[in-house]
Amino acid sequence: MMNSNEIIDDIANKEYEFGFTTDIEMDIAPPGLNEDIIRFISAKKNEPEWLLEWRLKGYQAFKKLKFPTWQHFDLPEIDLQALSYYAAPKKKKQLNSLDEVDPELLATFEKLGIPLNEQKALTGVAVDAVFDSVSVATTFKGKLKEMGVIFCSFGEAVQEYPDLVKKYLGTVVPHSDNIFAALNSAVFSDGSFVYIPKGVRCPMELSTYFRINAQNTGQFERTLIVADDNSYVSYLEGCTAPMRDENQLHAAVVEIVALENAEVKYSTVQNWYPGDKDGKGGIYNFVTKRGICKGANSKISWTQVETGSAITWKYPSVILQGDYSEGEFYSVAVVRNKQIADTGTKIHHLGKGTKSRIISKGISAGHGDNSYRGLVSVGPRAENARNFTQCDSLLIGNQCGSHTFPYIESRNKSAMIEHEATTSKIGEDQIFYLNARGIDTEKAVALIVNGYVKEVLNQLPMEFAVEAQKLLSITLEGSVG
Amino acid sequence: MTSDTIMIPFYQALTEDVNALTAPQDSLQELRRSALERFSATGLPTLKTEAWRFTNIQRFLKEYPYELTSTPATTTADVANEANIPGLDAYRIVLVNGHLQADLSSIPEGKGIRIGAMSASTDAPGFAKWFNQHTQVNGEPLANLNTALFADGLFIELQANVSIDKPIHLIHVYTSDRHAFVQPRHLWVLQKGATATVIESTVHPKQEAVAFSNCVTEVVVADNAELWHYNVQQGAENFRQVNTTAAQQERDSRYHHFNITLPNTPFTRNNLSVVLHGSNTETNLKGIYLATGNQHVDNYTFMNHLVPNCNSNEHYKGVLLENANAVFTGRIHVHQEAQKTNAFQQNNNILMGDKATINSQPQLEIYADDVKCSHGFTAGQFSEDALFYLRARAIGEEAAKALLVNAFTHDVTDEIAVPALQEYIQGQIEAIMNN
Repeated sequence: MMNSNEIIDDIANKEYEFGFTTDIEMDIAPPGLNEDIIRFISAKKNEPEWLLEWRLKGYQAFKKLKFPTWQHFDLPEIDLQALSYYAAPKKKKQLNSLDEVDPELLATFEKLGIPLNEQKALTGVAVDAVFDSVSVATTFKGKLKEMGVIFCSFGEAVQEYPDLVKKYLGTVVPHSDNIFAALNSAVFSDGSFVYIPKGVRCPMELSTYFRINAQNTGQFERTLIVADDNSYVSYLEGCTAPMRDENQLHAAVVEIVALENAEVKYSTVQNWYPGDKDGKGGIYNFVTKRGICKGANSKISWTQVETGSAITWKYPSVILQGDYSEGEFYSVAVVRNKQIADTGTKIHHLGKGTKSRIISKGISAGHGDNSYRGLVSVGPRAENARNFTQCDSLLIGNQCGSHTFPYIESRNKSAMIEHEATTSKIGEDQIFYLNARGIDTEKAVALIVNGYVKEVLNQLPMEFAVEAQKLLSITLEGSVG
Repeated sequence: MTSDTIMIPFYQALTEDVNALTAPQDSLQELRRSALERFSATGLPTLKTEAWRFTNIQRFLKEYPYELTSTPATTTADVANEANIPGLDAYRIVLVNGHLQADLSSIPEGKGIRIGAMSASTDAPGFAKWFNQHTQVNGEPLANLNTALFADGLFIELQANVSIDKPIHLIHVYTSDRHAFVQPRHLWVLQKGATATVIESTVHPKQEAVAFSNCVTEVVVADNAELWHYNVQQGAENFRQVNTTAAQQERDSRYHHFNITLPNTPFTRNNLSVVLHGSNTETNLKGIYLATGNQHVDNYTFMNHLVPNCNSNEHYKGVLLENANAVFTGRIHVHQEAQKTNAFQQNNNILMGDKATINSQPQLEIYADDVKCSHGFTAGQFSEDALFYLRARAIGEEAAKALLVNAFTHDVTDEIAVPALQEYIQGQIEAIMNN
């Protein structure tokens, strides 16, 4: 058996399993960010005038905003002028079935363990595969259409359902929200659009696999999910990215609107390229995710399992505007090598009787630095608001860091807020207990970690939970506390 | 410096020669100048300064045309007696705007005890070694301002294994006929194995002029030494304060800090920073803030674990009535070297006022793996059941609430090791609740 240092080194040195690149003809805009590029993107996507104007407003806001300085890590200098803001696989022709999809692209998904055709047959998951910004294959569309569910690429939604897009775009994350959201508003390439009509319970999990592929292209997805009165939808997002030397910026925006009695569940498994053991390369994952419970009794739930990216920096948030609405946040964030995660959530209690629950589990190994940063605010009108927050951190090795920065603001005397945080390593006694029962140390650690994150993984849909568990065991196998 | 800060009346004076503000024979001229330079570089904190996010210090400084006064004032025994704690047997030391008033003080004497005015103690070995050494003092804008401008304060140095038989009751009197911004500065050094208890009280005589105190206390607890430090903050309507306490602990030392903020001072900010330089130490930081009216109470604490095998416990309890506004920040930093650290922190609040608010930021920054650290926060209400239980036993609503608040704060008051003080604090809490 290896000693703990060797095991930690071993984890730290582990190569990224999903690192490969795909050769597909790309249509790339020249690098640089200016109004012309925004007009070019807008024209390329054949967008209406109002959307171009909205993009330009985003660009104006972007020019005024500065990079934040409050984060608990050194923000690497990002030359936004060196990036190319448009990359799309060349359109060949309209596709009717999976057989017509580029075989090389299908092979890529195969390697990732996400065979579209198999999933279609076995799991009943409709997949809107986003391959560098443009959707190439969408399945189960017909079935969803029957129920009135709209699930398509953002570009398509702009063409087909402009009124819906216009009504909700930017209502949750305004174009000037923060510098990355403003950048996204200006140059967003594509993304997904979901609309669940009144009274419809979406019959299947909606899922999008993002994949960053072209070199030097930041990816700027924009997702908009609208759940009308009394509807329900569960949305999955999963990511892997090929190995790269240059850092890639990912500044996506996700907006969720839940109307009266609606429920939206949004799950993410993120495993982008984290960089090598010296922290070289890797994805910068700076995402703005926010949902609003607009109607009474609505609910939004975020679940995330973050194991990849050089820097993960996001705070999926919920604005609880409707009375008796509910927000949830479940997170597992794992860092190793020189990975950084600064993540958490913001919950704004505005309506009466609103409830929220935050469970965050951080795991730090190697030279990783993991921060939980969260806000729970209770407004003066939020009578009887309730919040429960628990953030735990597990440290593996003495080179890593783990931090918690919760902000709690209460302006209502009837609100009840509870917050607790703990930091510790895996107990020697726990490992000894399992050893004594014939379970070797590696398996014991895996078991303990699994138990530690169970509360979060339980929130994931079945097939995602399996993938997440696999990811965790790859990341942490063999670690001894 | 922003144009905003220039609006503050005494700011003008700062830009002029610092020499004019201090005594000519001052041997600390160089130190003052560099502190003022550091202060000028940062300016006063704004709401964008992370540590001052919820406290707009500039608003409070602009309230009145404060003057930078260093003229010593005196007070009368009647005023000082207002701070008396019934049944407390202690050495009484009276400071007026930071200046020691000997005729009202009974200073403990004996071998190895040196207690006196800061201005008369610059030759003490403890002064040379420890004055202005704490990093936090050099990093805080207001502490820098204090270093640049302070006139006087209390110096305590206890030689190895010296203990004072009775607590020291330190009575701060702030008085002035004009609105004054005063800068007391204290340094207390407990050499190896020394022990002491210091109880601080504040008195502000009834008068028109408003006093704003920007006080800095440096505390050094050397190997095996133990200090019990109580700060009872009972001010008046015309008093505001920023209190910076910066403590350093050496091997096997124990430092117990109690911060009890009670009504009337409209603005209180406590910066409490403890840095651990030696192993096997124990640190207890306990606090109560019971605020009424439009009081703003901000407690900013920083527990800095630099070395292994240390224990720290922090527990702050708040009761907010009427429109009171409280801020709590609890930073625990565990350095990579500081293995086997146990650091615990709790902040509990009861909001009773319709417009009462609490902003809390418990923070853990951990760089070592073999540690046990936790923090907890709650904000809420009395349990209706508990209230009902008492009411059903013919206890009036006010009395029942007073009883429950006393029970709530009991976690902290119970640990006060001076019985007379414990009784006094509990009595005060009950009196405030019954009003």
